[in-house]
Formats: sequence, structure tokens, C-alpha cells
Amino acid sequence: MEIKQTAIAGTLESSDVQIMLSQSHDGVTFDLVSDVAKQFDDAIKATITQVLAAYDVHNVLVKVVDKGALDMVIRARAITAVQRALDLADEPNWEVL
Amino acid sequence: MLSRRLKIKTQANRTVRVHNNSESSGKMIRVIQDGPTITLNQALDNREWRSHRQTQLAKRYPTAVVVSVKLNIPGPIKTSRPLQDLFRRGLGCLRQYVADFPLIDDQILLTRPTGPEAFLVIQGTLTAVKRQAIAFESATVMGRLFDIDTLQAGVATQLSRQDLGYAPRQCLICDQPAKVCIKTSAHQLQAGYQAIQAIYDATMQDAMVIAKPTQAAVVHAAMAGLLYEVSLQPKPGLVDPISPGAHDDMTVMTFIDSSLALMGYFNTAFTIGHDFSGDDLTAMFQTLRVAGREAEQAMFAATHGVNTHKGAIFSLGIMVTAVAYATRLTGTTTAHLQEIMTHMLTGLVAQDLTALAANQKPLTAGEQQYQQYRLTGVRGEAAAGFPVVLHTALPFLQSTTGQTTQRLLDTLMQIAGAIEDTNLIKRAGTPAITAEMQQWVRDYFARGGSKTPAGLAYLTALDDQFIARHLSIGGAADNLILTIFLAKLGGVLV
Repeated sequence: MEIKQTAIAGTLESSDVQIMLSQSHDGVTFDLVSDVAKQFDDAIKATITQVLAAYDVHNVLVKVVDKGALDMVIRARAITAVQRALDLADEPNWEVL
Repeated sequence: MLSRRLKIKTQANRTVRVHNNSESSGKMIRVIQDGPTITLNQALDNREWRSHRQTQLAKRYPTAVVVSVKLNIPGPIKTSRPLQDLFRRGLGCLRQYVADFPLIDDQILLTRPTGPEAFLVIQGTLTAVKRQAIAFESATVMGRLFDIDTLQAGVATQLSRQDLGYAPRQCLICDQPAKVCIKTSAHQLQAGYQAIQAIYDATMQDAMVIAKPTQAAVVHAAMAGLLYEVSLQPKPGLVDPISPGAHDDMTVMTFIDSSLALMGYFNTAFTIGHDFSGDDLTAMFQTLRVAGREAEQAMFAATHGVNTHKGAIFSLGIMVTAVAYATRLTGTTTAHLQEIMTHMLTGLVAQDLTALAANQKPLTAGEQQYQQYRLTGVRGEAAAGFPVVLHTALPFLQSTTGQTTQRLLDTLMQIAGAIEDTNLIKRAGTPAITAEMQQWVRDYFARGGSKTPAGLAYLTALDDQFIARHLSIGGAADNLILTIFLAKLGGVLV
């Protein structure tokens, strides 16, 4: 499936990850910044790649800012980001102050 | 500023013991016991909600710093009554750390299922505010459980501890950076809960810490003491906004006039303590006494001759001076305050009361009772450093939950059952009233106190009985005023 719109999920808080998906035409490319040691980079990419594959997304630019998120958090944020990018989920409508 | 940080640090470095024996697991963990369980998605949605709210506040107040406060609680339970108490207490303490900056807006959301949250909008520079937040996080025991983010419009990312040259946060259980332990799931959840319980216990048992307050904060806390007290209702025999109680010469308005007339005095008392240099603290008290006599004149002028706050001028004046003196350079604790007050009042009971025989002037209620019953009254309380306030009322108030009015009514009754109220004894004409008062207090709490209709009904009936018998608990009210004063400064009342 093709990315319909740039979508973002997650925050820049500790233990969270912010994932931004935008349109691309040359496969899955990562732009990853992580707070924790480099050894987690591959694990983060693997988790997100898995989610993308499950949604049949093969062309996407993935911007990731990791603040030390657990694998299950990365997976949940990736799912939300994909659903928003594919227009499968409504953008959150937080109350206005 | 530096010395303050060092001073408070010795507090935090006290070891918080984590119980590791298997027997203690399970029922030991009371701190998260009654909390609801949330799902991962609830937690994640809440982070996005918070992030959005931070951004909105930063946009609305573009020149200010948005401070977002929450607790770091691992696992599926993020809130409980004890955690909300801890949060409220920590928030009050944090406010003292940032007291140098004007507070523009605040939003406190205590009961969210995803954990208590607060947003403070503060006029200051981002790094200065962040430094104070880090000081609170690292210098207090409970600070380890707090997560404070600072944000300013136009500044792309939140300022991190590392940006300011501080070490990353440590794991609650071991000495590793917290992020590493979270990432590798290094610990069992139970170990985290035990650590949180230990921090909760240490915080709630600790003598109360008062961070260096501004003069305005101290004077406002004193005014809050006077005004909160008179606003509570129903109180046995005392003046409240609905009724003058057992007092036929004053109303709530008289108390408001009197309180306003004393604001200048509290400023003077602060200055006396702040500027005092010398070794003999009794000299500081003598200076205060002169100001106190002027304050009595100001009170009588404002009330057209009615005694509303004579006891408070004495006791609250002492406490304001002691706080100002204790916090000239750094923060202080209630234990240190008590020491200062006992030094200020060394010899007072002996000088004032045993010298009565030679005195030709009409005696005050306290003086008469010393002659009649050898009760030392407020002078004795003050000379001992107000033990009822520090060891009974304040810990009791800390342990209460609910609305401020409910917490304060229960605290008033707790005090009334713990003291020999010279005002009550004077009106009753006999010290036997003290035992009667203690029974009323037991009956009140047996009915559930201010939070149950039965407790409130009992208190209303007691108020009626006091009015009929012309009784009042002015001494307990004075102690409550002092308790409110310290509770405001120590963050027990936010």
C-alpha cells in the first residue's frame, strides 16, 4: 500500500519514540536518532520494518526519534503511525484549551 | 543558590532502603494498591495528549516556560490515593524551588487514570527553570519519582538533563541509567514497586522540608493561615462566614479586617528574622515583641477594639520570624524551625508568668490560668517550639485526603483533642472541659469526620452546643493557623 499522507505518532518524552512516515519511491529508508546505545538501532528498525510489512507498505521514509522506548512501545507507535498514514485511523482530536 | 543545593542534598543522600526479602513482597506494596490498571495504548495516548497540551500552552504563553509534571511509575498501575498524595506534596515542594519565578497559570489534574499530572506556566528563562526542576528531582527523596519536562515556544526540543551537564536519570533500583534498565527489562516490576514504596515511606515520615521561600510567599502563607481558618465551617463555637459562633462582638468581616491589618506586621516579622545577626535569638524575639505590640494596636484599630488575633500575632509572628531566620541562606526543615523557636523563647515562661505576682495590670486569659491552674498556654507551646503543630497537626494534615476544607476541619478537631485550650478553659471556667473536648473529638472521628454526613452533622450539632454554652476553641484555631502556614510553605496544602 502507498502512504497517503505524512503521519506522526508518539512523543519526544523519555521511554517513548516518535515515528514520522512520509511518501517515498525508493523502498523503506530510515532516518533514526536514538538516545540509547547504537546496539538498539537494528532492533528498532527490525520492529518497525515488521509492522510496515504487515500493512504491505514497501515505499516509505521513516523518521524515528527514539527516547529509549521499549519494543512494545515502538510496535504500538509504528502501528498508529501506519494507520494514520494510510488514513485507516482518525487523527486524534484532543480537546482545545 | 549553591549552598542551598548542597544543604538539601544531604537530605536526599540518606539511604532509602529497598526491602528485598520475599516475605515483604505482595502485601508490603500499599502505594499502588487501589489504583486502576491501564493498557499500553491508554498510556501512549496519554503521552500524545500531554505533548499536545504542552504545545498548546507554549503557544498561548509564548514568552513563558511550560513545566509539565508527572510521576514515573513503571507497570500498568499509574495512580492511587497514596501516589496522588505524594504528587500533591511533591508539586508543592517543586513550587518552592521555582518560587523566584512568577507563576502565570497552573492546571492540576490529580485523578487521571494514567496518573496525576500538572502543568505550570512560569515566567522565566528555560535553563534557569529547568535547573530548578532538576534540583528538585535530585535533591529530594520523592524527586526520584517525578518527571518534569520544560518547554518553551520556539525552542525545538525539550531541554534534557544532559544538555545542562547533568547525569542522565538513574534507575530506581540499581545505579545504571534508567533508560538502559528500561530498554533491557533489567528488573522485575515487583522490585520497582518496592523501591517506590520505600520512597513513599521515607517521604511521608520525613520531617517536612521547606525550600527557601520569598518574603511574599511567607507573608501570603501567614495570611492564608488567618483567612482559611475563619472561612472553615462549621467549627465549634468559632466565628465562621455563616455565624459568629459563641462570639457576640465579631463576625467574619471583623476577622478579614483584622487579617488585612496584620499584613504589614508579617512583613516586619519576616524582616526581623531575615536581617537578624547575632547569637542570642531571644534578642530577635524581643525585637518581634515590640512589633507585636504595634500589631495589636493595628488589630484593635481595625476591629474597633475587639480581640480577634492576639494569639496569632504572638504565635504566627514567632513562626514567620523563625522561618525567615532559618531560610536566610538555604531551605530548612520543621525540625530545625522548632530548634530556632525554642532558642528564641528560652526563659519566656519563667519571665512572663512567674513574674505575675509583681504585676498590677489586668491579666490576660493565659496569665490568669497560669495563676489558677499552672497552665502555660500559648507561651508554653511556643517555648517548646509548638510541638502540637509540628508533631500532631502537620503529620495529621499530611495524611488526610479530600478537599482542603474537609482536611482542615478534621485537622482542627485533631488539634482540639490534643491540646489544653486556654481559651476553652477560660470560657468553661474549669480545666475539666479538656476531657469533655477529647470525648467530642473521638465521637466526631468515630462518625467518619468531615467526609461523612454523620460526621458533619455531629460537628454542626457541636457548634450549636458550643454557642448555647458560650464555648469556643480559640486555642485550637490558633494552632490550626500555624499548621496552615507551615503546610502552605511545605507544599502540604497546594
